[in-house]
Amino acid sequence: MSLLAGLGAGPAGAAGGAAVVPAPRRPTSRAWLWLLLPGLVYLLLLFVVPVVALLATSLYAPVPGGELGQYAPALRVANYADALAAFWPQLTRSFGFALLATLAALLIGYPMAYVIAVRARGRPLLQGLLLVLVVAPFFTSFILRTIAWRQILADDAFVVQALQLLHLLPEGGRLTATPVAVVSGLTYNFLPFMVLPIYASLERLDPRLVEAGADLYASPATTFRTVTLPLSLPGVVAGTLLVFIPASGDYVNSSLLGNSTNTSMVGQVIDARFFRVLDYPTAASLSVVLMLVILVLVGAYVRRAGTEDLL
Amino acid sequence: MAGAGALELTGVTKRFGPFTAVDALDLVVPSGSFFALLGPSGCGKTTTLRMVAGLEHPTAGTIAIGGSDVTGTRPHRRPVNTVFQSYALFPHLSVAENVGFGLRRTRTPEVERRVREALELVELGHAGDQRPAQLSGGQQQRVALARAVVNRPAVLLLDEPLGALDLKLRRQMQIELRHIQTEVGLTFVHVTHDQEEAMTMADTVAVMNRGRIEQMGPPAELYEHPRTVFVANFLGQSNLAPGVVVEEGGGTLGVDVAGHRVLVPAARAVAARGTVLVGVRPEKVRILVAGQEPGPGENVLGPGRVTDVSFAGVSTQYQVELPGIGTFGVFAQNLLGGATVPLGAPVRLAWAAAHTFALDGRDAAEGTTDLDEAS
Repeated sequence: MSLLAGLGAGPAGAAGGAAVVPAPRRPTSRAWLWLLLPGLVYLLLLFVVPVVALLATSLYAPVPGGELGQYAPALRVANYADALAAFWPQLTRSFGFALLATLAALLIGYPMAYVIAVRARGRPLLQGLLLVLVVAPFFTSFILRTIAWRQILADDAFVVQALQLLHLLPEGGRLTATPVAVVSGLTYNFLPFMVLPIYASLERLDPRLVEAGADLYASPATTFRTVTLPLSLPGVVAGTLLVFIPASGDYVNSSLLGNSTNTSMVGQVIDARFFRVLDYPTAASLSVVLMLVILVLVGAYVRRAGTEDLL
Repeated sequence: MAGAGALELTGVTKRFGPFTAVDALDLVVPSGSFFALLGPSGCGKTTTLRMVAGLEHPTAGTIAIGGSDVTGTRPHRRPVNTVFQSYALFPHLSVAENVGFGLRRTRTPEVERRVREALELVELGHAGDQRPAQLSGGQQQRVALARAVVNRPAVLLLDEPLGALDLKLRRQMQIELRHIQTEVGLTFVHVTHDQEEAMTMADTVAVMNRGRIEQMGPPAELYEHPRTVFVANFLGQSNLAPGVVVEEGGGTLGVDVAGHRVLVPAARAVAARGTVLVGVRPEKVRILVAGQEPGPGENVLGPGRVTDVSFAGVSTQYQVELPGIGTFGVFAQNLLGGATVPLGAPVRLAWAAAHTFALDGRDAAEGTTDLDEAS
């Protein structure tokens, strides 16, 4: 940006300083403060205060001789070590499932976005219809849709029976209560978050650039690799973040489509620790760990993708 | 590959639904020439160019480049490159990467040296590491040119590449383009709606209208010998007056124009009998004020009245209304300063009979359309 500004200043400077452009006047009123205030109050009450409370809770220690769920403020850092030692499989599984779901959503979502944005270009009615179809699942509740998936993947439903007929699934094999079901559910539920940002960046792509690629001896595949894909990367980065972040913390899919042994994710553990076992410090420390890991992963990813302007 | 071959279109037609954009076009572009396709917007010139590039497929006809038929060939397999009207530079690549794009696809050796030379050719040797968005419009235009020229295509296609530039930069780029074309010796096909641009740059100009080529030839020949009303009006300005051929002989036609006898060299007449349109270019006409007499071998019309005088620096442009004929324009060079004939003065118009041309009278009904769109 500074280079652009420099170029812009060039001709004015070359004009011999005849026209000295005054610097834009700084707004003297405090209106901006009042405009920011509602958002700041909202964030303070519903984000900053809960996060601080969460951090504090994660360091609480049990009251000696107290009842179940009785904790006192403390600085018990060992909570983190305990939580990680007990629940690291669920934590790593969460990120593994989220990663698989993100990849699956990318593989399914990119072609969908491409068809809507590029193939249906110039046919706004068709584009609108397809976009409505992408967003349509949001018209019903997240939980309901996941319960519907349980029906679809049930042992006596057509998916399992068809797979068994094709010998892709062994006799007596099942889909519910398997990692496949959980990852499928995550993929399905977060797919629109992948499709929409990729659609937006492909829609902005100038079709003449693709023609220029063809004109400069690039085959359609090469043009896609060297022109279309790099220019849609901001959408891909946004989409993968929008899928990966909520998917890592999700517990609806793992509790409705999974089982309690080899598919449970960290969200499920946090839920159980908070509301069933009343083990608040462990639940809080797991939440903090989840947040920090996501922050670090996303930060590294965005830096790597070279699209810092997204953040 | 440079200058290996000409471009040849045979019976090329392109229809978009019921609309015929290009209508049975036949065209031969000689190797190494600077060829201009000139016409108003919607005349089919850009569609023609896109068919040569392979970005549109002709409904009928064949396209050959360097003697081999490429009608069914995909764009990336054609030995042509395009300088797009919008430049279409890749925003995510540096200037040097943009210029080297085609070379990398064809696995040409010494990409870096060639890119550097191409950028130096367009005087942007210093800008290789910059992004297109950091350059001005004129610089981006030159990058687009370098990106195409560097591949040494059999035919270089230019789709109104100067359209987005302001007038001064445009004139400068016209000279540069011409210079680059002679330097690299490639065949250039330049599409434009700017008749001045076409005339100053091209060896051969084809004037297109409604999907067809109206007339084709060197600029001076098109200007001096227009064969249709459309060409007479689109390429420069023309004074046209309807008349009837009354005599013929000795290589000269005598035409009756509202009671005046006007002589036209038979070689400059498209039609030799019946109704014709007699034409003369405004700069060929001189104004006779009271007391001045025409010279020998001059056609004379009038008397008429000066209805408009506008001073344009190098010349003064008069509008003279001739009763029963119409309004004629006259460009008088300001050899003695400004305007010499006042508004409202009764005058006659005279010009050398040798500069007169005659068009087919049936042409009058059409032809003058599309002119507003063109300007």
